[in-house]
Amino acid sequence: MADAEYVIELTNVTRTYKLGGETFNALDNVSLSVKPGEFIAIIGPSGSGKSTLANIIGGLDRPDNGTVLVDGNDISKLHDGQLSAYRNHHIGFVFQSFNLQGNNTTMENVMLPLVFAKLSRKERNARAIECLQSVGLGDRLKHKTNQLSGGQRQRVAIARALAVKPSIIVADEPTGNLDSARGQEIMSLLHKLNKEGITLLIITHDQSLANQAHRIVEIRDGKLTGRRG
Amino acid sequence: MRFSDYVLIALRNIWRAKLRSALTIFAVVIGAMSVTIMLALVTGAKSFFLSQVEANGTLQQVAISPQQDITNFNDAQHSGGGNCSANCVKLTDDIAGKIRAVPHVVGVTRVANQGMLAAIGYNGQLLTLNQTNAYDANGIIVNNVLAGRDLNASDATGVITMTSDYADKFGFKGNYQGIIGKTVKLQTQNFYRGVGATVQPPQQCDGPCNPNNHPDDQPTTLTAQVVGIIDTSNESKSIRVPLEWMRQMQENQMYQMTAADQAANEAEQTKCQRQPGPCNPTQHFSLIVTDMLAQNGYSSMIAKVDNSKNAASAATAIKKLGVGAADASASVKQQLTVFNIVGLVLGGIGGIALAVAAVGVVNTMVMAILERTREIGVMRAVGAKRSTVRSLFTIEASLLGFWGGVIGVLAGFGLTRIANILVNKQLASQSVKAHNIIGLPLWLILAVIGIATLIGMLAGLYPAARAAKLDPVEALRYE
Repeated sequence: MADAEYVIELTNVTRTYKLGGETFNALDNVSLSVKPGEFIAIIGPSGSGKSTLANIIGGLDRPDNGTVLVDGNDISKLHDGQLSAYRNHHIGFVFQSFNLQGNNTTMENVMLPLVFAKLSRKERNARAIECLQSVGLGDRLKHKTNQLSGGQRQRVAIARALAVKPSIIVADEPTGNLDSARGQEIMSLLHKLNKEGITLLIITHDQSLANQAHRIVEIRDGKLTGRRG
Repeated sequence: MRFSDYVLIALRNIWRAKLRSALTIFAVVIGAMSVTIMLALVTGAKSFFLSQVEANGTLQQVAISPQQDITNFNDAQHSGGGNCSANCVKLTDDIAGKIRAVPHVVGVTRVANQGMLAAIGYNGQLLTLNQTNAYDANGIIVNNVLAGRDLNASDATGVITMTSDYADKFGFKGNYQGIIGKTVKLQTQNFYRGVGATVQPPQQCDGPCNPNNHPDDQPTTLTAQVVGIIDTSNESKSIRVPLEWMRQMQENQMYQMTAADQAANEAEQTKCQRQPGPCNPTQHFSLIVTDMLAQNGYSSMIAKVDNSKNAASAATAIKKLGVGAADASASVKQQLTVFNIVGLVLGGIGGIALAVAAVGVVNTMVMAILERTREIGVMRAVGAKRSTVRSLFTIEASLLGFWGGVIGVLAGFGLTRIANILVNKQLASQSVKAHNIIGLPLWLILAVIGIATLIGMLAGLYPAARAAKLDPVEALRYE
């Protein structure tokens, strides 16, 4: 894996949806390679297919055609159990709307992926504390997430993404629900993680955010139209 | 994912929707409680019945009937006397002796139940007698004595035991000792011609007439001393008299013209003819006492065998003597079958409540899945497999059933305790020495909890399958 040139390699990926009897290509013959440790921004207008691209890389969705190699393994061929294990071990998701369980504490939210990773209670606790400290929430361990501000919630979400020590973080509009100052804080945090070696894919339509990436991939009507950086 | 984590997460989710979970569990509680109570009643009644059978030694008994084709133990006990209609043989002392000689038979009780007595009176109060029992006092038929003593082999005449319901009516409720030694009146039927009856000498009649046809047949009143009060578990509203006394009560006293009387009458007639003028010769009759019990036979007999296992073979051997015989195993089995059927029916009624509760569980789980669609998406995103999601919701539904079962059994337990208190009172008032007959055996507790959990699980299968089928991308987008 460490020897591979690319951590992610998409070849001729097509994903078709049927909506109201009409089929449309969310991804149309897309090929993309990502090097380990790269920070890539995927931009494009609404409905262009950028979320579909992120979901396919993250193992939440499967392509109809083409191959998706991650660390040299074609994840498009995995069955549900393997794909779930892949998401659990390799991918950290960060969502625009945080997707936290509001009634649960920050610790409980961060521990969720570790539950599926079958870690012992002790290990889970230790890892969750470590992750929350690394996002600057070491003093909010017992807080329920619905008592936190938006910026803090997104940091909890990032801590949850980090919990299983993923090699790739897929962030779908991570600052979309935050003001610019909080958004920048989150971006700094993601930068930091990227510098520590995590491959970072950010989906955004905020140009200034995209400009912070090593490379920008633009997608329109399911086709990659431009690559910059 | 560890099983303990499944349970913990499921419990947390149940707790999160407290009211809805509570209502769903409540429905299961009702179902589990009804099943518990219904089955507790039946198992209680069944074990009470068995303990009674055990205590009476019924399983060690063979009932012998004059009716040859009898197959049922209870019928055999009650088929005797005037009830025997076809294929009847006389149960005589001779037959009793032969039965005693049958292998495994350790004793025989001769039973003579005939309705010679119509009423029992004490202190001016006269009560109708349902049944007068008489049988050998040799311990084969066991009575539960509440006060005084049971009849014994040395009792011959003039003593009785009575069931407690009579003592109650005579005002000795709670003080049965009080009636012991008291004298009661036993009023016979009108046609009574047994011991103590005043049989009028026949009227003189010209030409052929029935000298015993008395228009003034009146009931006879006998007196007896009460020696014991027995409980009503065997029979109610009955008295027991010594077998010898019953023999005497069944005697038939009749004036009959014997050969000697005939000769005397003829002599008088001849004397009359020789004398001139009107002559009214006296007709001579003798009072003849017939032992009707010896003539008709006993109404039934009970043979006791050494071991209940030998009852069936002894019954077969006794039948070969030409009498009807049946052991209790068949009728006990029949009774138990009835209990089992009643149990199934009552359990089924409770089961309907559980089935309705299952629908509630389905509804609750479908609602929960709608509410938690996004959460399911997140779980899938961070590594939960379809099977994990399915298990999680199935376990959650099972836990709803489990808690319903546990609480239902507890509630059922409480209610059976209350019911026991009421039944104990009832039994005590009938002087039956038994209490806490509604039992809640461990197997029933575990079975009800198990069934409730299983029903919860089955009810959770469909919603859980729906949850597992959710597309994670769609689930994450769900508003």
